Amino acid sequence: MTTSLSRRDALRVGVLGTAAAGLGLAGCSSGSSASSPLQFWQQYAPATQTEPNLVAQNDWFLDAVARWQQAGGRPIEPVFIPAYTDPTNTRLATAFASNAGPDLFLISPGDFLRYYNGGVLEDLTPYLDDDVVEDYYPEALATRTIDGRIYGLPMEQEPLAIFYDVAALEDAGLSEADLPSTWEDMLELGRRLTTGQRAGLVLDTTPSYYQNFTFYPWMWQGGGEVVDPGTQRSGFASDAVVQALQLYSDSVSTGAAPRTLPAAGDVVGAFRNGFAAMWQTGVWQVEAFAQNAPDHEYGVLTLPTPPGGEAVTSLGGWAFVVNSKGRDPEAAAQFTAATIGSMSQESIDAGVQWNGVGKGNIPARRSVTEAIGDTGAFENPWLQYFRDEVLPGGRGEPRYPPPVLKAVSNAIQAVQLAGADPVEQAETAHRAIESYLVTYEGAELR
Amino acid sequence: MTLALSRTAGRRAPAAPATKAQALRSQRRAAFWFLLPDTLGLLVFVAIPMLLSVLLGFFAVDGFGNISFAGVDNYVRMGSDPQFWRSVQITLTYLVVLVPLLYVVGLALALLVQQRIPLVGLIRSMLFVPYVISLVVVALVWEFILGERTGVLAQLLAALGIEGVSFLGDPTLALGTVIVVTLWFQMGYYMIIFLAGLQDIPGEYYEAARIDGASAWQRLLLITMPLLRPTSFFVIVTATVSVITGGLDLIFVLTGGGPAGSTSLLIYFVYEQAFLFGDLGYAAAIGSVLTLVLLAWTGLMFAVTRGGRFDHDS
Repeated sequence: MTTSLSRRDALRVGVLGTAAAGLGLAGCSSGSSASSPLQFWQQYAPATQTEPNLVAQNDWFLDAVARWQQAGGRPIEPVFIPAYTDPTNTRLATAFASNAGPDLFLISPGDFLRYYNGGVLEDLTPYLDDDVVEDYYPEALATRTIDGRIYGLPMEQEPLAIFYDVAALEDAGLSEADLPSTWEDMLELGRRLTTGQRAGLVLDTTPSYYQNFTFYPWMWQGGGEVVDPGTQRSGFASDAVVQALQLYSDSVSTGAAPRTLPAAGDVVGAFRNGFAAMWQTGVWQVEAFAQNAPDHEYGVLTLPTPPGGEAVTSLGGWAFVVNSKGRDPEAAAQFTAATIGSMSQESIDAGVQWNGVGKGNIPARRSVTEAIGDTGAFENPWLQYFRDEVLPGGRGEPRYPPPVLKAVSNAIQAVQLAGADPVEQAETAHRAIESYLVTYEGAELR
Repeated sequence: MTLALSRTAGRRAPAAPATKAQALRSQRRAAFWFLLPDTLGLLVFVAIPMLLSVLLGFFAVDGFGNISFAGVDNYVRMGSDPQFWRSVQITLTYLVVLVPLLYVVGLALALLVQQRIPLVGLIRSMLFVPYVISLVVVALVWEFILGERTGVLAQLLAALGIEGVSFLGDPTLALGTVIVVTLWFQMGYYMIIFLAGLQDIPGEYYEAARIDGASAWQRLLLITMPLLRPTSFFVIVTATVSVITGGLDLIFVLTGGGPAGSTSLLIYFVYEQAFLFGDLGYAAAIGSVLTLVLLAWTGLMFAVTRGGRFDHDS
């Protein structure tokens, strides 16, 4: 049968069709039925890269989920989020803003407080045995614990140190005996190693949470604090903070450090191409060198200290957290505990696989450190150095709300790149932090 | 069943002589149905979100579903927020320098590629290509050129004995650098707009002027510029809007708002408030003010130039 359709009829059909499609779309849901898999957002799996370490990291997540499901747990779907570690990535923030946050996700220390104060982090304490809590290094749990309750389980600890390029030292007629132990020596060496294309010493320059993270150890070494843990008032106008700001100022003004990151921040690339001689960065670079430049000769040095200062460094690292407003927070918390927070051999083995094979970084638990020993990735002497020499001076990256982080960032940027007076900038940031803390309502800052 | 669109649908019955009123009604109905999909799209994707954004500005919203009425607090806060005013100042500098540059360079290029010169088609394409490249790629390419010590430009300058210049790391140079990069990737677009405007100007006018002895400069000032008035209006309005509301990705990759906040444009400040600080109410309030300013600016431009119409148009 053939039906003739006028243009007007066609237009009506089109409009109705569009409306129907719109209603259909509006009716779509994100799959909230009781049996649908819980979503686990992270930056590791399922991934398509072929580099051995990335494959191992991908497999670790897929295996963890598979084990959980085989044991009868509610299905969990790992969701790979591109550029998840980029602090400018808005995917997680917009998901929570539209009430569509994932059931589980990985979180960095810099973001922890915002999500806790937003009321979306599930208390994991009831799912953890006391001996597991004891098994964690105190510094790994400290900044994820509020009023004795644990809201995030770290998978790793990532301390900062100075990486140096052996060839750069040799080019300058120096040896590892000339490596600095004080700030003054570090700046002097930075100046000596700076050439036309090579930056002598690289301190982070991009305004971000990460730059703050790299700044804290210099401040802590002299006893400085952003917020005094005892009084919960700003501690930023102290001599120790001014001293650390002065270091940043001097590093650029004396020509020891560049104003921007060489090789767009690629440490391995910069070392290989002779664009950097020393770089303050984290333990993750050991694995990056192993994967991308296994034959390149480099070394690691604990952060130099100021006169009378104490060797302290920042500890970063990602943690599992559970969305308390998710579809099944209890199942998600049980999965978290079973995977990385249990004294079972399976959980410890998972830690060994993650820290000692897949990621190659410092475990957050003593039992995992012991089980790894000097095997796997820890056959690398620089990982052993991080574990034995750098980690003991480690302090967890503090949790501060964004306005405090911004005030600190403004001060660092102003002294480092705009030649501002450290005393004035410390005072300005101090006032901004004080003013914010007057009305701050949320978890203790530490 | 087969449906076939009749090509003769309008001829099925002998058309009765329609009155003028009937024809008008019919036209209006058709206009209504044709405009409906676009109007719905604008309502759903532009007007309603814009209205919601304005409303959001009157609430404290933390990005986790916690929302409380804040009255005009967000607007009051704007007045006393030094970071906000610094961003306003940076944005104004960016605007005042960039829009005239886009206008002048876009017009100059259009005048150049309007000439009958060899490979003009290729030159036009090459000038337009940066506009269709992703801003992130643009930023990465320029980072390679402008990199401190190792960038192409740094090495050229070093060969001339000028060392230690950091285009992206020195607060006194960074905004200027961002302006140059923005000019580079946007000038091709405005060149095409001006070229279309120039091609609408009848050649007889130039011919008559030449016969009367007018110089090239006089022809530009007395023929080209007045007859480009509608195009100029369009360019100034759209360039202003794009300069104020665009460029976020470029800033992300090139400078991250630094060094020392020297490239923290207002749009970047809004982004920071919304997505890094989770202060959606404050961000929405700033966005609302920005929209009002742009509307006022566009209205003013309409009033002053009469929508870019020629003097002889009614």
